[in-house]
Amino acid sequence: MKPITVRLTDIRKSFGGQEVLRGVDLAARDGDVIAIIGASGSGKSTLLRCIPLLEIPDQGEVSVGDAQIRIRDSGHRFSRAERQTVRRLRGQLGFVFQSFNLWPHMTALQNVMEVPLHVQGRPRAECREEAEAMLAKVGLADKFDAWPAHLSGGQQQRVAIARALAMRPRALLFDEPTSALDPELVGEVLRVIRALAEEGRTMLIVTHEMTFAREVSNQAIYLQDGRVEEQGPPEQVFLDPQSERCRRFVGMSRGEG
Amino acid sequence: MDIAFIAQIFPKLLAGLPLTLLLAVLSLLGGGLIALGLSGLRASSWIGARVADFYVYIFRGTPLLIQIFLIYYGLAQFPAVRHSVLWPLLREPYVCAVLALMLNDGAYTSEILRGGLRAVSTGAIEAARVSGMTRLTMLRRIVLPLAFRQALPAYGAEITSMVKATSLASVVTLMEITGIARAEVSETYRAIEIFLCAAAIYLVLVTVIARAVDWLEQHLSPYRRPTGARSLA
Amino acid sequence: MDESLTLLGFGPEGWGQVLLNGGLMTLAVSACAFALGLGLGTLCAWARIAGSAPVQRLAQGYGVVMRGVPDLLVIYLFYFGGRQIASAVAKQFGHVGPVEISGFAAGCLAIGLLSGATQAEVLRGAFHAIAPGTLEAARVTGMRRWTMFPRIIAPLALRTALPGLGNQWQSVIKESALVSVTGLVEALRAVTVAANSTELPFLFFLAGGGIYLAITTISGLLFRIAEWRSMRGQAAATGRG
Repeated sequence: MKPITVRLTDIRKSFGGQEVLRGVDLAARDGDVIAIIGASGSGKSTLLRCIPLLEIPDQGEVSVGDAQIRIRDSGHRFSRAERQTVRRLRGQLGFVFQSFNLWPHMTALQNVMEVPLHVQGRPRAECREEAEAMLAKVGLADKFDAWPAHLSGGQQQRVAIARALAMRPRALLFDEPTSALDPELVGEVLRVIRALAEEGRTMLIVTHEMTFAREVSNQAIYLQDGRVEEQGPPEQVFLDPQSERCRRFVGMSRGEG
Repeated sequence: MDIAFIAQIFPKLLAGLPLTLLLAVLSLLGGGLIALGLSGLRASSWIGARVADFYVYIFRGTPLLIQIFLIYYGLAQFPAVRHSVLWPLLREPYVCAVLALMLNDGAYTSEILRGGLRAVSTGAIEAARVSGMTRLTMLRRIVLPLAFRQALPAYGAEITSMVKATSLASVVTLMEITGIARAEVSETYRAIEIFLCAAAIYLVLVTVIARAVDWLEQHLSPYRRPTGARSLA
Repeated sequence: MDESLTLLGFGPEGWGQVLLNGGLMTLAVSACAFALGLGLGTLCAWARIAGSAPVQRLAQGYGVVMRGVPDLLVIYLFYFGGRQIASAVAKQFGHVGPVEISGFAAGCLAIGLLSGATQAEVLRGAFHAIAPGTLEAARVTGMRRWTMFPRIIAPLALRTALPGLGNQWQSVIKESALVSVTGLVEALRAVTVAANSTELPFLFFLAGGGIYLAITTISGLLFRIAEWRSMRGQAAATGRG
């Protein structure tokens, strides 16, 4: 068995009395591509955002590579040492947002170079070379100096993927990466993600694109009401789920698309 | 129009330009520091935020002229002030004018700064947090550059408005452009020519500053300009 | 403390009545100047939206000049310049020596002109914020321009312009303090007189600040209520200026 890269243990989270996550466990081994599916409000985005601690769970343990954070009670305030651990944890992840979240005052290339250069402190020449390579890889070799505001949504999302890759992460997290895109731009982004999966990268993907999720993943998780309702190889979860609710969900999705 | 008279009055008025500029620069610098202090206070605690709000409320709710009078004439009411070590400074109209302009500018600038900070999108901040940046790096690389760009047009307006506000220093006897104009008028009684000349000087000054700020904005935020690349998003 | 209260009060020793009259004069100057500014602003906004090229340029130039010159200088220009002209005219009729003109009129005119330039911008922005569909919907019914303006354009634009106009009103109140240089006894002049005769400048200038603060706060509240009322029925309140 390959080593575990990302592990979540008994993650719980409520917003204003509403329990969104009710004890979720998850482990991604090196090279795993895990698709996380579920209806809106099932907690799948919250779960993904808990991994880099963008949402701080009320309780549970998050570990990424050699960084580990454990939270025992809600409203937890991180100590100085913990904040450092959180940064180390985040530094090993590449996160791709639904709404891209590029830094608008930097060009595409500057966006990709920012973290390697100013957070990881790698040499400028190396950062630049690698950033250019990453942008070329996502098909934007001609857009180095373009401003985010002048790029299409699909292009912005591909810059965001290049930015995540440039951090040399152990795992990539995608939070509904195509939901904010016009339909005709979805394909170009999915192609890039698919290519990354084929390279053997570790990825966790929250998505509504069922066909894509089935094809690209080696493991799928169906969340319902903040719990893992169904989990297993994609053939099982998408084609022959044990749970009635999961069956209805994937059946409906298939009917739609 | 008496060209000879105007040719003679212009250099006299221009002699006040250095003082006008100095007053403006000093009050903008001081005001900027006060504004930074106020936003620090705002971020510190609930009480701090209320104190900052109150400061802004007072200075934006009253005329600048009364603030100048309160400092220049008002402070002298107290024997403690008159006998303090600061008195040689506080009796100077120059010091009082700069002080009042600074305090006033600080209130307006802090609101501009607040607007700029509020306009930084949560998405940009989340993307920075998730990349493992320290708070300081985030402030330095993402938050402040974005806030500054966002606030620049409003701050440009504040700069020109401070340049104009320095004319009030003439009321406490300072001989900047307006002060000189006023003195010349009481000698020659040719109010229209003299005040129009002074107005022309301010107009040129303000126009130059506005252009410079525009240039800086274009330079810093070229992405706000539409270019050849079509935005499909 | 007791002494201060007596001095600020309405008794025989008190300056209360003088300060109150000053405050009312400030309100009067401000109201006249604001009204003039609103008229000029509407005219200029209209000129910039619908005027011919030269008219547009004229309105634009007026705005640039008014925003580029200190308020105090404009007041000086109208007051002392007005006196200069009045004296020259009087001389033609055989009168010798300077002629006094009304500080109230000069002040209103100056501040009205200054405020008009900014109000024009506020109104123009508000007009452009009207959804084009709304105007088309009116046009398609065969409504004439003269019906459309009071029935559709003005109510919609005013609603959007209200926060901006509120800010302008606040500025006008504060600018009105400058009219004290003409000798008009508005709030600032009143407290200056009191400060000089009692030799208690801090007390009276502080009281003066209080008068302005009271006026700006109360009118700010009224504008906010007006805004709130005008926003009823609209989905989301727009940001405050």
